[in-house]
Amino acid sequence: MLAYTIRRLLVAIPLLIVSTFVVFLLVTFSGDPLANLRTKQPPPSPQVIANYRHMLRLDQPVLVRYWHWVTGLLHGDFGPSVQGGGTLDIGHALFQRILVSLRLVIAAIIIAMILAVIVGTISAVRQYSIADYVFTFTGFLFLSLPVFWFALLLKEGAIWLNNHIGTGFKTLGESSPIVGPGFGSHLVDALEHLVLPTITLALTAYAAWSRFNRSSMLEVLGSDYVRLARAKGLSRSRVLIRHALRTALIPFVTVTALDIAALLSQTIITETVFQWRGMGDFLFTAIRALDVYAVLAWLLFAAIIVIVANLIADLLYAVLDPRIRYD
Amino acid sequence: MSGELVDGVVPPSVSNRANVLEVENLRVDFPTDDGLVRAVRGLSYTLAPREVLGIVGESGSGKSVASLAVMGLLPKNARVSGQVRFGDENLLGLSESALARYRGEHIAMIFQDPMTSLNPVYTVGWQIAEAIRAHRNVSQRAALEKAVELLRLVGIPQAADRVHNYPHEFSGGMRQRAVIACAIANDPDVIIADEPTTALDVTVQAQVLESLRIARERTGAAMILITHDLGVVAGQADRVLVMYAGKPVEVGTADDVFYRPRMPYTLGLLGSLPRLDVGGRRRLTPIQGSPPSLINLPPGCPFAPRCPMRQPICQQEEPELRPTDHPGHLAACHFSDSLVGVAPSDLFRPTARDDVLPEDAGDSAAPEVTA
Repeated sequence: MLAYTIRRLLVAIPLLIVSTFVVFLLVTFSGDPLANLRTKQPPPSPQVIANYRHMLRLDQPVLVRYWHWVTGLLHGDFGPSVQGGGTLDIGHALFQRILVSLRLVIAAIIIAMILAVIVGTISAVRQYSIADYVFTFTGFLFLSLPVFWFALLLKEGAIWLNNHIGTGFKTLGESSPIVGPGFGSHLVDALEHLVLPTITLALTAYAAWSRFNRSSMLEVLGSDYVRLARAKGLSRSRVLIRHALRTALIPFVTVTALDIAALLSQTIITETVFQWRGMGDFLFTAIRALDVYAVLAWLLFAAIIVIVANLIADLLYAVLDPRIRYD
Repeated sequence: MSGELVDGVVPPSVSNRANVLEVENLRVDFPTDDGLVRAVRGLSYTLAPREVLGIVGESGSGKSVASLAVMGLLPKNARVSGQVRFGDENLLGLSESALARYRGEHIAMIFQDPMTSLNPVYTVGWQIAEAIRAHRNVSQRAALEKAVELLRLVGIPQAADRVHNYPHEFSGGMRQRAVIACAIANDPDVIIADEPTTALDVTVQAQVLESLRIARERTGAAMILITHDLGVVAGQADRVLVMYAGKPVEVGTADDVFYRPRMPYTLGLLGSLPRLDVGGRRRLTPIQGSPPSLINLPPGCPFAPRCPMRQPICQQEEPELRPTDHPGHLAACHFSDSLVGVAPSDLFRPTARDDVLPEDAGDSAAPEVTA
């Protein structure tokens, strides 16, 4: 399995090169990075524009620019930025934003998976019961709600509650501007800010995953080996957990691992609604500023996440299913 | 969670009783969108210690459903009534957890498809050890040692190594033997084998049947052998029960049923069987038509539409199991007396002719094809 992992990581290199090249071309030909500068009032002097042109290497051919960018990446240099008067360190800034977003994504994934396993299992074991119908209804409800709308609904609802009942939901940002001293109060503050965005993201992911776990469980519950497990005289809980759920988790885990990449895009929307200074905000700001190298850095990270999520899905598949062996 | 001990309520010993298992008037209905499917319509039988009862019948005759009902393994929507007595207990009234004490420990089951009977994510040995630890308070190591012993008993070579294999590393025949090992892990009193060889190659069938025989002899268990293969039953069973449309239509010793059938359906089954023990070339005489739908069964004998002997009474009154000319041999046919000495070919006709073959070219007596 170690050999397989290394092999997969090696395969990821050409994959990354191809994806960076395609992304570089797409970003390069999507517009003039200096358009904002040219339309500025009062107009900057031709010398300023020429300086920026040179800084962004626009005076060089595309392939040379790509080569400069890729070799720069190897040295940890993500390229020049037009933001902050040309002083923004893209790598450092993006890293800070990733840490912020990761809190949200990880919390949401954990909650969504636990909820999906519990609810999917109950729905399958008690198929066509009232609980199953309630879970099915709410599942499809969350599945059909657009994330931005659901996030807004939660936010406005929380604000209403704050104003009328006096609850203290934090609806803006990932942390408060002024926090009491000590690590403890910072942690509490961060957790309080996590509540609403996490609910948004977790329920959105949970909706699809619980449906998947339900059907996966239903299939396994009707299988011959679950019947044999019962025929052996095992307790009901042992049949359900050790035989049914354990086997049903194989497709479930791989699907959720693959979904993590998709969850990123919903994170961006959620962050925007709750005005988090996370990856989503970084991307939007970069696009508005026509900051090509910042956008490229972000897309590079997204490509890595997709590749890693796929690798994790494949590896988990082998861990969970003894019939799968990579060697 | 594992290794529940059978504490307190130990089921009474059955050694002093005449029968280990008594099934009485078992009925199983399934409500469906099209109506009530009456899968089993009153099945009664007894099983003596060490006895092998063969239950035969074609697909849909209710033989598998009846045995799943005995184990309490039917889907939740099944409506089961009647009695399944093991010792002094009626198993049909028991809760799932009470039933679990009987399953595996007193009544074990072997299913049709060995390819899907074992959980793919656990080793074969683990699954046998699990069966042991469900009823015995032993360590995992001791249970695995017992598993090796059981695998050896049912004829798995290199059992000590094979015990750590996953099911997908076993062939179909080996898997079925592993399931047999699982079934005898707790020395059950009754083994229900539901079509144990149907999904296997013919050459492997004989090996698995041999494993089954060894397992039965070693544990002293009685067995219900469900199959549609009369050849399997002939070699194994002491008594045979023939089912048709959810009801027993003939019960007797293996000799009774095979040599003195008193029900046209049994006769038809025998005529559909290639025989090597009878010399000469003879054509098979299959039963025409297909079994009736179990939704809204018309009155009368359910076999009547396919029966060459049918009379007006057959379409009005369903015959009950009645004694025949041999003691203990029962048949459900209005005209069972007139079947004395009748051969299958007297009643059923071949549906195909092979007189196109050169050596049969002169055989002008070949009967016409019946549509």
